[in-house]
This record gives sequence, structure tokens and C-alpha cells, in this order.
Amino acid sequence: MSTITKETDLKVHEDGELVEGNPTFASVTADISRAPEAGTPKLWFVAFGAALSLMGLGLTLIGYLFWEGTGIWGIQNPAGWGWAIINFVWWVGIGHAGTLISAILFLFRQRWRTAINRFAEAMTIFAVICALVFPGIHVGRVWVAYFMFPLPNQMGMWPNFRSPLLWDVFAVGTYFTVSLLFWYVGLIPDLATFRDRAKTKIKKAALAVFSLGWRGGNRQWQHYERAYLILAGLSTPLVLSVHSVVSFDFAVSLIPGWHTTIFPPYFVAGAIFSGFAMVMTLALIARKIYGLEHIITMRHLENMNKIMLLTGMMVGYAYSCEFFVAWYSGNLYEKAIFINRAIGPYAWAYWTMIFCNVVVPQIFWSRKMRRNIPVMFVASILINVGMWFERFVIVITSLSQDFLPSSWDYFSPTFFDVGIYLGTFGIFFTFFLLFLRFLPMVAIAEIKGVLPQADPHYYEHNGHH
Amino acid sequence: MSLLNKANNLKGKAYWRSLDELAETPEFKDFLHREFPEGITEFNNPITRRNFLTIMGASMAFAGLTSCRKPVQKIVPYVKAPEDVVPGVPKFYATSMPGGTGSIGLLVESHEGRPTKMEGNELHPQSGGALGSHQQAEILNLYDPDRAKWLSQDGVQKNWSDFVAWWREQYPELLANQGQGMAVLSQQFSSPTLARLKKEFENTFPQAKWVVYEAVSDENILKGIENATGQALQPVFHYEKANVVLSLDSDFLLKESDSIRNARGFANGRRIESEKDTMNRLYAVESTFTITGAMADHRLPLQGGQIGAFAAALAVVLNRKGASISAAGNLQDFASDDFDQKWLDAVTDDLLANRGKSLVVAGRHQSATVHALVAAINSALGNTGETVTYYPLTDKAVSDRQTLVDLTSQMEAGAISTVIVLDGNPVFDAPADLNFSSAFGKVATRIHCSSTANETSALSNWHLPKTHFLESWGDTRALDGTMSVIQPLIAPLFAACKSDIELVTLINSGSELSDYEIVRQSWQGPARIAAGEKNWRKVLHDGVLENSALSTVSASISRSRLAQQISAQPISKAKANAESLEVAFVPSTSLFDGRYANNGWLQELPDPVTKITWDNVALISMKLAKEAGLKNGDVISLEKNDSVLAIPVWILPGQADYTLTVALGYGRKNAGRVGTDVGANAYAIRTSGAPDYQGGFTANKIGKNVEIACVQDHSTVDGRPLVREGTLDHYREEPGFAPEMEETPPLVSMWKDHQYDEGYQWGMTIDLNVCTGCNACMTACQSENNIPIVGKEQVSNGREMHWIRLDRYFTGEDLDNPGMVYQPVACQQCEMAPCEQVCPVAATVHDDEGLNVMTYNRCIGTRYCSNNCPYKVRRFNWFNFTKDTPEIVKMAMNPDVTVRSRGVMEKCTFCVQRINQAKAIAKSEDRQVRDGELKTACQQTCPADAITFGNINDPESKVVKMKQQNRNYTMLSSLNLRTRNTFLAKIRNPNPVLESADSSEHA
Repeated sequence: MSTITKETDLKVHEDGELVEGNPTFASVTADISRAPEAGTPKLWFVAFGAALSLMGLGLTLIGYLFWEGTGIWGIQNPAGWGWAIINFVWWVGIGHAGTLISAILFLFRQRWRTAINRFAEAMTIFAVICALVFPGIHVGRVWVAYFMFPLPNQMGMWPNFRSPLLWDVFAVGTYFTVSLLFWYVGLIPDLATFRDRAKTKIKKAALAVFSLGWRGGNRQWQHYERAYLILAGLSTPLVLSVHSVVSFDFAVSLIPGWHTTIFPPYFVAGAIFSGFAMVMTLALIARKIYGLEHIITMRHLENMNKIMLLTGMMVGYAYSCEFFVAWYSGNLYEKAIFINRAIGPYAWAYWTMIFCNVVVPQIFWSRKMRRNIPVMFVASILINVGMWFERFVIVITSLSQDFLPSSWDYFSPTFFDVGIYLGTFGIFFTFFLLFLRFLPMVAIAEIKGVLPQADPHYYEHNGHH
Repeated sequence: MSLLNKANNLKGKAYWRSLDELAETPEFKDFLHREFPEGITEFNNPITRRNFLTIMGASMAFAGLTSCRKPVQKIVPYVKAPEDVVPGVPKFYATSMPGGTGSIGLLVESHEGRPTKMEGNELHPQSGGALGSHQQAEILNLYDPDRAKWLSQDGVQKNWSDFVAWWREQYPELLANQGQGMAVLSQQFSSPTLARLKKEFENTFPQAKWVVYEAVSDENILKGIENATGQALQPVFHYEKANVVLSLDSDFLLKESDSIRNARGFANGRRIESEKDTMNRLYAVESTFTITGAMADHRLPLQGGQIGAFAAALAVVLNRKGASISAAGNLQDFASDDFDQKWLDAVTDDLLANRGKSLVVAGRHQSATVHALVAAINSALGNTGETVTYYPLTDKAVSDRQTLVDLTSQMEAGAISTVIVLDGNPVFDAPADLNFSSAFGKVATRIHCSSTANETSALSNWHLPKTHFLESWGDTRALDGTMSVIQPLIAPLFAACKSDIELVTLINSGSELSDYEIVRQSWQGPARIAAGEKNWRKVLHDGVLENSALSTVSASISRSRLAQQISAQPISKAKANAESLEVAFVPSTSLFDGRYANNGWLQELPDPVTKITWDNVALISMKLAKEAGLKNGDVISLEKNDSVLAIPVWILPGQADYTLTVALGYGRKNAGRVGTDVGANAYAIRTSGAPDYQGGFTANKIGKNVEIACVQDHSTVDGRPLVREGTLDHYREEPGFAPEMEETPPLVSMWKDHQYDEGYQWGMTIDLNVCTGCNACMTACQSENNIPIVGKEQVSNGREMHWIRLDRYFTGEDLDNPGMVYQPVACQQCEMAPCEQVCPVAATVHDDEGLNVMTYNRCIGTRYCSNNCPYKVRRFNWFNFTKDTPEIVKMAMNPDVTVRSRGVMEKCTFCVQRINQAKAIAKSEDRQVRDGELKTACQQTCPADAITFGNINDPESKVVKMKQQNRNYTMLSSLNLRTRNTFLAKIRNPNPVLESADSSEHA
């Protein structure tokens, strides 16, 4: 991380401006408020309709799942987990970029984050909502899923605190709460701006409630910044902990291919990797449609590409490391599972993963490619495909071919596996489109903070805030 | 260094290394490794998927729906409580089940008057306390929702009294013309009462015929022995006394008559406690892989049509070596050069070295000549009276194909006006060339008595529903003549049902008698039991009449008769080849001859060799598959002359080349909701002339591939020390080889573990050396633990529910003749159970007796426990598999075990309900549970006694003694889970002569 810090710091000096076109404070407010305040464009309705339909499909299928049972999925013995868990890990992973951008880059004073942090945080919240759908619905008896929570009851039954699934409940629950708070706290000054610009009474009243009486006073800013810093501090360990805990679901078990100590860092790197890819995909579309090229600039995109190159190589290292350890350990079962991954029945999934996650990001060694929008758009999508396959490879290949060959079987998904996964895209985009439509997609207050005129000393006191 | 690969370094352990090598060969990849059929996204059609459940639920007739209102159920308490009935405490009654020319003694568990589980009767010679899958599954036949409930005449519902009245109208005329034009077609039986009634029938109607036919019978065996000795004799084999056994196409451990006693005897001859013990040696010559072949120390795949020639060659060699076989002179054509000379030499030397302590058996598919020859060989080896004894065929009726052929032609000719089919299903299973159904249609009056309305009933005028043997009185004789009473455990479920003896009595006399009276009549007199109710009650209590076995007959081989048999039915030398394939017709492991088609437990019971459920296939060798370009599931059309059978193929290593083995009993058209249209009907190409092996077939691909529900996709251990196996010599050199094949690291714990050193600590061992892989334990478990049936589609999807399964692996280098090993795997009851640690809601926990227990109420169904189980023994209720169980099938459920609902995990509990019951009884008697008093269901029924269960905290218990043996090992011991179940390594006893030849060949 430190190398990046230095590099980008240098960049700040080189390039000077984080916002192009020399906007004024007023024009920033106007630019960003334009979309929520203007009438709803037709395209938005089209997109929203599509998202809502997908969500409807997903919810209908989930209803059928509740009615019939988990047997409608392709999972069986030995692969007791399938797409639900893959999707859960994938969506949680995607969420990570938001927290990383808002919290860690904030603490490292990476001010280029301001253009994308709101965006990324919103994505985090929605991705975590999508992720949370799965642990809830994948259990056999959803009507007693609340047994997972430590609720006092007359039988004195507690959940099993030794189970990684329980750790998951707490880790993801905490993560969602803190992310939501962090996002909301960041939104307060901008909501106040919207309140002040609101034209109708109802809008004004609603925004007044949500902006918590923000007036932009000096003491308010002081408290606000302190609160934001504390939340950033709280979120930072979560970036590391959530996916570490998610990886414990696998690492703590004894299944070959799961039982490995490399999982926590490997999962975190993968999460950031996929999260940045998702932010990239979404940001490229949004900046184009909403004309925010001067705010989300090429420099932001290039920085994100560099992070993807780095994290992509980290997961690539993890993949090779797994193979090395499987060989070096001399463990028959561990060896067999990795050989099977590479040349067994799921080799197609494994090589898809390697291509998307290891080969594709290598294109970003070239500065030209790092700044080429179509290239990065395709790459970001491929990376998310690759990261989905990474989870597929981990979950399915390990379970399908564990210790006793007699139990081995091949997993095939059903229509319901695919449909519910698509449904979560519906949920995600429904929320995301609502966000784009009604909330400031870029942090107005923070952007103003990185305009040259916000710092009359022109970086003389580096790091002063 | 790898701990696990240490196995490779052990001297003489060619198994594991060779398996690794085996996995490298391209053939292996192409054929054996078939592990993963192409993945297809299955659009889950709820209609198809739930087909089975839907049809299972169709029977609302039992719900008593008389109006549209919610049915009202009335619970009526006993006004006068029956003596000795304590609600919740099951009672056991002894009875017996007829079958073939023998019977099986049963002890049936009954809950408040409702039979729920079959167990073997220890006093019965053919059971000895154990049962096979068929006998245990009979409980489901009793509660078959498709049983015939009404008596019908030409499809119109009638009463029994209508039939009685109708018969009385016919009776005078039939009596007057002495039964001219009347025929009875019955199944085989071994029953004093039926034999008496048959004699009565023949006296009353001297012109009538009584024909006995069953599609699968011991006709060849009995005829062969009769033709060699001049006496009608029933052989009984004593495998426990044999040091060397040669099986000629005989699957005596599973598919032949008396397989339960055979398995017990064989296991007793094979059981060893230490490296100092000796064990028997089994040679098997067979056309398809059987579980007997899997147990063999040497196995020779040979086409079915060649096995007779092999027997002849054997006789010639034995004769040459000094065992005087009277007919050897007639067999000089069979110079043995066609066969592996070394093999033949080794076998004959071994047999001769063990005169009087060896045994040659031939399967029921071999011709009468082969059986005559085998009887002569046994006699020459001095085995008669030692390892094989003969009993008179008293009170038995044996199937006779020729009489059926005659009857059919008479029916065709219109000479028969009344035919009474007593049970059975000749329209379905009669030889195809007889065209039985057309001949049957030409009979004016067709009466069929059977428990389900099957294909034959559909073509009959009268259908009379027959009682199940648990509903009526009767009697049986075992193969050795031991007499038993069939006593009913429950009144007939449907009032219209009558037993076969009641029907025959009516036919004979025109008057009615109850089945009880009929049986009592047969049992009166000094020949049966001494007078007095007490003696009768003792028979009912014991299930057998003491000392009622007949005395053995000393059978001597008549040289001239044998020679006559050989010339009358000469041994074939023809060989099948690619242009002229041989089809072998074998009874299905599950459905037998088709009678169990509507039994869900049996349909879903994997074939022990192929692991296929819900289907029959044509088994082919790898060579044929390669030559014909066939892969698993390819449908072929088997053709000869006009007969055609479309059936999918399945590649089985160890199958004789150019022999296609097809199981009978599938393809039923009128079996009921479970069995109709399952598989292909092999009777369509089975003829009366060659009902066992028939050559001259061609096979053509029809360009279709179907999915076969096989429960085991991967068939090798891939170098993993799961099933541990060694030769006797190697075992003697290195007695501790089995536990040493996998290193168990010391367990370092950060805290003080629970010690499990107080009270009862339950443990189990499974002796792989005697386990035959017969599946009996699976059915026992299914019956005891209310395990649901899930249907073909769910099985294909890897969702079978069996708590105990039999893993089957191929071993060895030779792809055309590999070894086969079995390993029963249920929950290993780990003390450090990985499943318990990961359950987020603590639904699976450990009790202080060392059991890993499931709390169904608490389970939310995350399936994490199953993922983390290295043995993959946990079973998940993917749907509500029991929701649509018909009311009548619910009567088969064990009330001591919860019926699981959707979304919960389940698994073997070591039959915790039995443990608790035994503990409760012991406590009420103020004592400890005695060793051996408590048996798990699988252990109880195991014919080979491979499973031992007990308190490992009691140093005197049998299970501790088993665990102290040096063959004892823990599967996956490197994981250090401290499993309560351990295995005892399998030991093979190969002939050193052949062994050295084998190893030099492969060196």
C-alpha cells in the first residue's frame, strides 16, 4: 500500500488537479445536483424497469425456493453448497472496494478517492444487501433461520460459537451496519445541500429529516470530520476482517482445497480486486451518461487500474502458492484436489478463472491501456467474471472431490441457481438506479475540498487538513 | 515425506501403486473413469421431479374421504385391553416366509399390532438370524398402496361370496369330468399344507393338471442331481466346512437359493482373528462380475456358454489326477487346452489336496448336465455328506419349464377351459417363444390369485386378491425340511384378500375353511407335532418345529445315468463373438424376477456390482465397448430372429467379452405406481429353450443415450488407503500392515479433551474380510430408520438418502479382470467430529456415550456439517420427501424414529433408539446392558456377521476384542478424528502357485 501512496502522492504534484476544467464551487454543486434534480430521463425508466423485472424474477424464484426446498437447486451430496454461497462470497467481495476507497484511502489521505467514494460506498451497501440475501435463503428451513442469532429463549439454547458460519453472521452484520453509517454520515452535508436546493415542500421536509439539521457551521464541520475519521478508523479493520471471516467458512473446515491458511489474505486481495472492477464498470457508465468526465477523471480510472493490476497479481500469487503448498505438503488429498482443479472435470472453470484474474489484468502494465476506456471496461467485466469463477472453483471443486472417491459427483446448476443469481443483479441495480436518481452520486462537499481554490496554499503544507 | 504414500513402500502392496498406474492408462480414462458425465443444466421441472412423490400420494382411498369435509379420525381406546400389549413396547413374533423350494424364518417386530420390521429367526436354518434385502423389504410389499383391494370378475367388483357361489356352480361338472380341461399354474412351494392340498387336488381331479413354473428357479440344479443320482434331492451346502471352494457361475453369496446361510457359512470359513489363523480359498469362474466373484481369491471371467466346457475340462483333469469321476471318459472332447492351463492345474491341485473339505458349486444358470457333473465331482472329491448334503424333496413343488410349455400348447389348442393361476405373473415372465398371453386368452375361464393386480390379472376373468404372508396362516419347509408355521401378524388389510390355501381348499372341495383350520389339519398327527395346544404354541413361539429337518440322503452317482445325461444334453463348446453375442439372463438383485418391481426400497437399492438404481442395463466388457464404440447409457437394440430388446449398456470391468448380462424383472407394464415402466423387459427375448444363456444376438446402436441413476461415479480408490487389503502371506509377514498404511500423527490438543471413559461408550467394527457387499444392511437401515425413497431423478442428482452405503472399488492391474472390494460406510461417529464444530446452531452435538447425535428440531439446514464430513455420510432432506407418503405406507414406519421433514440433515445414529431401549430395559432390571444384547439394525441382519457393535468401555466386550486385532484400522486416520467405527482389513488368500505367476507376469 505504501508504494501506491508514494506514487500517487507524486502524481498529485505532477498532475496537480484532481478535477479537470477548473470548476468553481458553484459549478460543482450544480453539476452533481443536476441529475437528481432534473426530470427523470427515459433511459432511467428503461433501466429501472429492467432491474425491477430482474428483481421480481429473483424474488419469485426465492418464493418458490421457500415453498419447495433447496432441492430445486443443483446442489447435492457431496456439494452441499453451490451458487448461493458462491454468490454470497462474490457480492461481499465486491462490497470491499467501497470500504477500501472510503476508509483506507481516506486514512492514507488519498484525495483522489473523493470522486468515486460515494459511488463506491453505495455499491458496497447494495452489494452487501445482495450478499445477505443468500445466507438467509440457502438454509433448508428458512423459517427457523433466526436460530443463528443469539436470542434469549426458554430452552437456554445458544448458537455454536465455534462455527465459522456464526462468525459470518456477526462479521457481515457488523460490516453492513458500519458501511451504512459511514455512507450516511458522508451524505449528511450533501443532503443538506439538496435540502437547500429543494423546490417542493415535501422534498425539503424529507431531506431536512435526513440531513439532521446540518447547517455547515464550523463546529458542525469539526464534529463531522471527527465522526467521519472515527468511522473510517472503524471501517478499516473491517475491510480486512470481513473477508477473512468469510474465508474462515472454508479455511476452518478440513476439506482439501479449503483447509488452508492462505485464505484470509487471498480472499481480501480478491475482494478488493473484484470490488474495484465493479466500481470501474459502474463508474465508466455513470460518468458517461451523467457527463461527469471532469470529476471522475482519467487519473482516477488509471489509479484504479493500477490497484487492479496489483491485487490481480496478489491473487495470481495465491493461486500458484496453493499449488506449491499442495505439492510441498505431500498430502495425497491436497495434491489430488489441485491436480483435479487444473485437469479434472472442472478445468474449464479453473482456466476461465486464471485467464480472467491473472492474464487479463496484465494489460494494465501499459500506460496506454490503463487509459483506454473500452479496454478497461472489458477488463473490469472479465475480472468480475473471473472472481465469480474463483469462488466457484473453491466451493465446487473442493466439495465435489474430497476424501472418498465413492462420493464424488459432478455439480450442475439448475434454472433456479441462475435465476436467483440474476435476481440479485436486479436488486443491486434497482437500488443503484434509485441512488443515482435521488442522491448525489459524487461527494459534493469533498470534491470542493480538492478544488485548487479550497487550498490557497497550493500544497505548501503537505498533508495539512 | 508423504504419510499417505507410505502405503506404497510396504512390501508386496502392489494394489495401491498399481492403481495409480492404472489411472494413467488411456483405457482407464476412457472407460472405467467415466466419473463425470457431461454436465447438463437441468431445468428443474417440478412435475417430472415430483412424479414419484405425486404418484405415491395418489392414494386418497385410504384417507377415508367420504365427503368434501376434512376427514374425521376417531381414536377408539381399547375397551378391553389385550393382554401383554404395552403401548410403545414392540412385540416380536416368529413366522416364516416362503420362497423357492425353501423358506426363511422371520422374527417380525410389531408395534401395537402393526408389523414394522423383519428380522431373521436365529433358530431357522436358512436364516440364522440374518436376512437379505428382499425379505426385509417384504414389509413394504405388505403395505403396498397398489395392492389389489377388491375381488373382481371381468373388471367388476365382486365379493368373495360371489366367487364361492360361482365356483360351486362349476364344481359339480368339474368333479364329474374329473377336472378335464382344468389346470392350476402355481409357483414353487415348500409347504406341507400346499403339498397336501396339491395331492388332494390331484386325487379329486385326476384329469386336471397342476403346473409349477417360476421364471427363476433351481430347476437345472435339481434336475441335474436327479439325473446323476436317480433320486430327487435338494442339495444344501456347508461352506463353513470347505477349505477350497470353486464356484462355476454361482453367485451363492447373493442370488442363489439359500444365499443367507451360504454367506454365513462362507464368512465363518473365512473369518480370522490373527495372522496365525487359516482361511478358506475361493475360486470363481463367472460370466459377469458378482459379489461372489468379488470375494474370490482368483477369478476367471468366462462366457456363460463356456463354463460348462470348463466344468468338463475340470472333471477330465481331476480324473487324470486321480479323483475317479465316472463320466470323465465321455468328456475327452473337452481337452482343456482352451482354458488357462495353469489356473486349471492350480484349482484341481487345491481341490485334490482338500478332499472332503472342498466344494464345487455351479449356478442355477448352468445346465442340468453341468450340475450332474458337479455332483459327480463333489462325490469324487469326497465332499458329498461333508460340504454338500442332500435332502429329499418332501412337500416341495419345483418349477418345470417343460410342463409350462406343454400347458401353453394345450391352452393354445383349446384343450384347457379353466386355468387357475396361483400367484405369479406368467403373462409377464413366461418365455417369450411360448406366446403365453395369446394362449392364455384362449382359455374360457381364467382365474388369477395374486396380491397385486398385475399383467396376468389384467388378462384374467377373475382376480382374487391374495393375502400377504404376514396376514394369513400357512406353513413352510426349509431346504433341509425344517418345518415352520406362517402365522399372521395382522388381519388382512383388505377384507377381500384370501390366502392361496383357502382358495385351493375351495377348489378342491367346494367348501370353505379358514386358513388356520387348514394349517392345523396339516399339522395334526404324530408325524407333525405331538398333540396338545402347548406343543403347537411352542412351534409358534420358536418359529420352527424342533428337529424337523429331514434326514440326509446318501446320494451316489450312477455312471450310466450321468453318461445318459451328458449325451442327452451335451455340453456346448460354442463361443460367442462380436457377430454372435451371448445374452445372460439373471435375476435382478433388486426386483428378483419382477415380483418386487413396486417396492421403492428395492428399486432404490443400488445393484451391488454396478451401483445402478431404478434401471436394468446390459452389462458389457470394456473390449466389446471399445469395439462397438459404446459408452455407458448408449441404448442398443439386442436382436435375434424376431425378438428385439432396446436397453442401455453399461461397461463393467471383469465382464466376459461378448457376453451381455441383462437383469430380469424390469419393464413391468402393470406393476403399480413405483414399478411400472421402469427399465427394459428382458423376458421379451428370453426363450424356453435357452432361458439362461442364449447366443446368436447382434447389438446395434440406436443413437440414443439415456441417463442411468448410478450412486457411485468413481470406482477406484486413486491410491488412497481407504479399503486396506493384503494377502494372507503378506499379513503373516507384516501383521500390522493395515494400521501402518496411513500415519496417524499424535493429537496435540490445546485443552483437556473430554475423556469418554465413563459409562457406556459405543463403538463398532466392520470386518472387511467377511463383508460380502450384499446390501442387506442398507435395507435393514432403511426399514429401521424410516429412510425415504427419493426416486430415480433425485438419485441421479446425488441425493439418495441411505444412511449406510456400500462403497465399491475396483482394484488391480488387469482391466479385463480387476478385483472388487466393498466397504460399508455409515457415520463413523468421530469423537472429534468435524460436523459438530461447524454447525452454527449446535444441531449436531456429542453425547457423553460418544455418539454424534442429530437434533432435527434444531437443524436449520445449512449443510455445512455435510460439507465438512470427510466420509460424506450425512444426508439432507432436499425436499419434503415424506409429505406425500400414502397412509398405508406410513404403517411401515418405525414409531421409535422420527420421520424427518424437509430441510434437515440426517445420518446414522448407531440406532440410538435401540440403544435407549436396551438401556431402559437394563435399568429396569437394575443391571448393565449385556454385551451382544443390543444390536444395530445393520449388524442384526448381516449374514456374514461382519459388523460388531458394543461398549468399548467394557474390556470384555466383543467389539473391544475386534478392535484389538492387528487388522483394525481407522479410515482417514491422518485426520485424527478418533472415529468410533473402525474397519478390519481385508485379507485375500491367493494360491501361491497362481500368485507368483501373476506377479511375474506383471513385473
